[in-house]
Amino acid sequence: MKIKLKIKRSAPLNESEPFFQAFSIDAYEGMTVLEALLKIADEDDPTLSFRKSCRSAICGSCAMTINGHARLACNTQILPEIHKFGEVILEPLSNHAVLKDLMVDLAPFWEKMERVMPYLTPPDAENTAKMTSEDEAKIDKSQQCIMCGSCNSECNALEIDEHYAGPAALAKAWRFIGDTREGFAEKRLDKLSTEHGMWDCVRCGHCTQYCPKNVAPLKAIELLRSRAIKLGITDNHGAKHALSMTNSIKRVGRLDEAAMTFKTLGFLRSLGMIPFGIKMELHGKMPLPLILPQIDGMDEVKAIFKTFEEKDKNKEDSGGKS
Amino acid sequence: MGCKCSTTKDILFFQGGFLVTHDVIIIGGGIAGMRSAIECAKAGLNTAIVSKVYPVRSHSVAAQGGINAALKSTDSWSAHMADTVKGSDFLADQDATEVLCKEAAFDITELEKMGAIWSRDENGNVAQRPFGGAGYPRTCYLADRTGHGIVHVLYEQIIKHGVFIYDEWHVVKLAVLDNAARGIIAVELKTGRLHRLRSKAIILATGGYGRVFKTTTNALTSTGDGMALALSAGANLMDMEFVQFHPTVLPRTGILITEGARGEGGYLLNSKGERFMEKYAPKAKELASRDVVSRAEQAEISEGRGVDGCVLLDVRHLGAEKINQRLSQIRELSINFAGIDPVEKPIPVRPGAHYSMGGVMAGIDGQTNITGLYAAGESACISVHGANRLGGNSLLEAVVFGRRAGQATEAFVKSTTLGDFPDGFLSEASFELAGILKREPSEPAYIIRNEMTVAMEEHAGLFRNKTGLEKGLEKIKELKERFKKAGLTDKADGFNSELLAFLELGNMLDVSETILLGALARNESRGAHSRTDFPQRDDVNWLRHTLIRNQSGELHLDYKNVVITKIKPAERKY
Ligand SMILES: Cc1cc2nc3c(=O)[nH]c(=O)nc-3n(C[C@H](O)[C@H](O)[C@H](O)COP(=O)(O)OP(=O)(O)OC[C@H]3O[C@@H](n4cnc5c(N)ncnc54)[C@H](O)[C@@H]3O)c2cc1C
Ligand code: SF4
Ligand code: SF4
Ligand code: FES
Repeated sequence: MKIKLKIKRSAPLNESEPFFQAFSIDAYEGMTVLEALLKIADEDDPTLSFRKSCRSAICGSCAMTINGHARLACNTQILPEIHKFGEVILEPLSNHAVLKDLMVDLAPFWEKMERVMPYLTPPDAENTAKMTSEDEAKIDKSQQCIMCGSCNSECNALEIDEHYAGPAALAKAWRFIGDTREGFAEKRLDKLSTEHGMWDCVRCGHCTQYCPKNVAPLKAIELLRSRAIKLGITDNHGAKHALSMTNSIKRVGRLDEAAMTFKTLGFLRSLGMIPFGIKMELHGKMPLPLILPQIDGMDEVKAIFKTFEEKDKNKEDSGGKS
Repeated sequence: MGCKCSTTKDILFFQGGFLVTHDVIIIGGGIAGMRSAIECAKAGLNTAIVSKVYPVRSHSVAAQGGINAALKSTDSWSAHMADTVKGSDFLADQDATEVLCKEAAFDITELEKMGAIWSRDENGNVAQRPFGGAGYPRTCYLADRTGHGIVHVLYEQIIKHGVFIYDEWHVVKLAVLDNAARGIIAVELKTGRLHRLRSKAIILATGGYGRVFKTTTNALTSTGDGMALALSAGANLMDMEFVQFHPTVLPRTGILITEGARGEGGYLLNSKGERFMEKYAPKAKELASRDVVSRAEQAEISEGRGVDGCVLLDVRHLGAEKINQRLSQIRELSINFAGIDPVEKPIPVRPGAHYSMGGVMAGIDGQTNITGLYAAGESACISVHGANRLGGNSLLEAVVFGRRAGQATEAFVKSTTLGDFPDGFLSEASFELAGILKREPSEPAYIIRNEMTVAMEEHAGLFRNKTGLEKGLEKIKELKERFKKAGLTDKADGFNSELLAFLELGNMLDVSETILLGALARNESRGAHSRTDFPQRDDVNWLRHTLIRNQSGELHLDYKNVVITKIKPAERKY
């Protein structure tokens, strides 16, 4: 079947404006986007640049934006895309600088990885501690990451702040913090609780949704956060925000956003938020009155909390395998 | 890209690039390369890895089934060695095999100390599964993602130990002068510039050459570069004719279905639903060694008992739970690449080129016939696999001999002074590249590549004979001539993937020639080398290694005796 593949072409160093180029190819049953690209590079346009290696979804080379979202070219088949969208549009990953065509600069990606100290640091250098299958299960998902960058490409927090650690590196961080043999989990969590760290995630869920290996980075981030709170690493905005949110709901059954701002930022710094508060009010979004009445059904809220607190005890044991 | 080298301020395009000095340069960021890098960096050497893909993208990451080691009290390194030697059809050097099997347990523990994760048994010990050609379940694994697990833990360690990484740098020349390694020349993909890296020692860990065959399990990057580079630098290649064809490969894509699928209890069936391996290997059945199973499959297919050119791999009786737990990647691959869910239907499979037993001749510490040049992993031939490798032994080879090459390099570097690096190397390389870029191509290179892979599959595949091999050799010579006139459409400097693919093709043509030459000369059948015109193994004349050397542009064959210490060659039955 003859189909059209539209590819976004960019020159190195953005020497010229990017443009879309259409290639017409014979697609067969089972043909992957990568197979199509290889064919185009052979027969139509050898100047087309893209990364590839394993062609079996395990090396992480070929992530790109396919019909709007980050996917692996080597395990995305052409015909189902055509049936679903009527066309196949290929663009480079988002949130990364384009080097050429479908190749992006991954240097920041690797730097983010390095920043979370991606190696086990056991308490005794010999690392004689053993692990059980249950211990392994806690980090099983995180350790399956192939470092393809799809999650970072789809991440809303990264789009706003390029310095944010990002889901891939945070999933990697959990791989060590959740490892029973790790000796410096607390130190690591301390570091991750600073600016651009794990509390910057806005929980949009895209990372988990678009990860081709089911790593579920958001789950890892949640595990990191709850571990930090359990260890009392709460002297930072993110943790304070989370705690005051929980307290507010526990207390009145809803979010007391004005009070949360005080609790998260402290009194003096939250004064700086007042103009923001006025803006919110203008948009009809400021929670008024400032002293909130309890909602009806507070007993239910309390019951929910109790269940969660109990569940929480067992939660990490499942390693986010929910 | 993530290169942490000195500034690029005074780069002279094509005329210098930059010249950086390291104690040791490791070519290749797969398991062998990274394992040796860790050893060098730990010893305080200024260590750099140069790799055409970022290390975690290396082919090693695709290894599925596992890595062998005798760990249990009821198993022993000598039993592992006996299985390996038998599997090799007695061509493996027994001194090297002894090192491999003796040190296996140590290296598994080393990996674990680094943070490796394994599948565990009920008692929390590293779990072990049965693999082909092994008399004991001694294959350690991480589900069906063993290579991924090991690659990532080694990557973590090279970060920890501060190894320099020149990724997306493509090595085009080994600088060897007076039979001693001086450094390398590489093209940086991003800029197209040629750079010189100078060092006291080089460790070659560039992996295999599966891509010379049409159907292969290998990554697109497995193009035998290191072997071709070493050959033209004056190193000996050994046993190049021994190519392993894996029995369970998905038809069009060549994607591998691990031997672990049979290790976990999967059956091979023909079109009549018979477990045909009962006929060819009554004892080991599906778990006979790979050459035996692949030939049996081919026989079934040729005799009309195949299913669309394939046989069927049936794991349904293992049940969804076990499949999901132990073979989850296999399930994913079958669904994505063959449109078949193995929980519900058998998977069509056929033999495909998988592993290069031959490679750069190296000793048990990785030393080659060039001073300061070491080789490890699939690109080396230390000869632990002989004529046929056992599943799970090559990841083991990469870690054991990667580590040993690193250790030997440390000793060497500490006792050597840096040799000079004449400008001639660079001008020669830039002249060559400029020539390729400038000439008007008579035809595009991919046509030559496709003809090569077809010819190799046809003439140097599972079954070989004199006429076919001669035809193959003629064809490769013709393609080499055409290659000299072929060229590029892309004339850009930076991001010129066409240029790199072109260089890879040149390497593959060289490698193909050595495979055919070795195979044509070897008038016997042994392990993976099966000659229909010489169906018997011939220990009197052929219990020896094939060496190939480049002498001023001509390839010369030579032979070397097999080291036999403990195990006498005997008939091989499964
Ligand atoms: C699908 C599959 C499954 C396998 N499963 C198993 C298994 O279960 N058990 C087992 O024991 N073995 C297995 N094997 C074999 C095993 O994976 C390989 O033999 C082993 O990983 C090779 O490792 P390596 O480090 O030698 O090379 P590779 O991992 O191939 O690395 C080669 C490196 O060299 C670099 N390189 C190459 N050429 C150049 C150049 N010109 N310039 C710069 N860099 C270059 C590449 O970038 C790469 O980093 C499997 C193989 C395949 C194909
Ligand atoms: S959930 Fe958090 S980390 Fe994941 S994509 Fe959204 S903002 Fe980014
Ligand atoms: S978490 Fe998933 S999407 Fe993100 S880099 Fe890893 S494998 Fe890719
Ligand atoms: S090519 Fe390796 S993940 Fe697609």
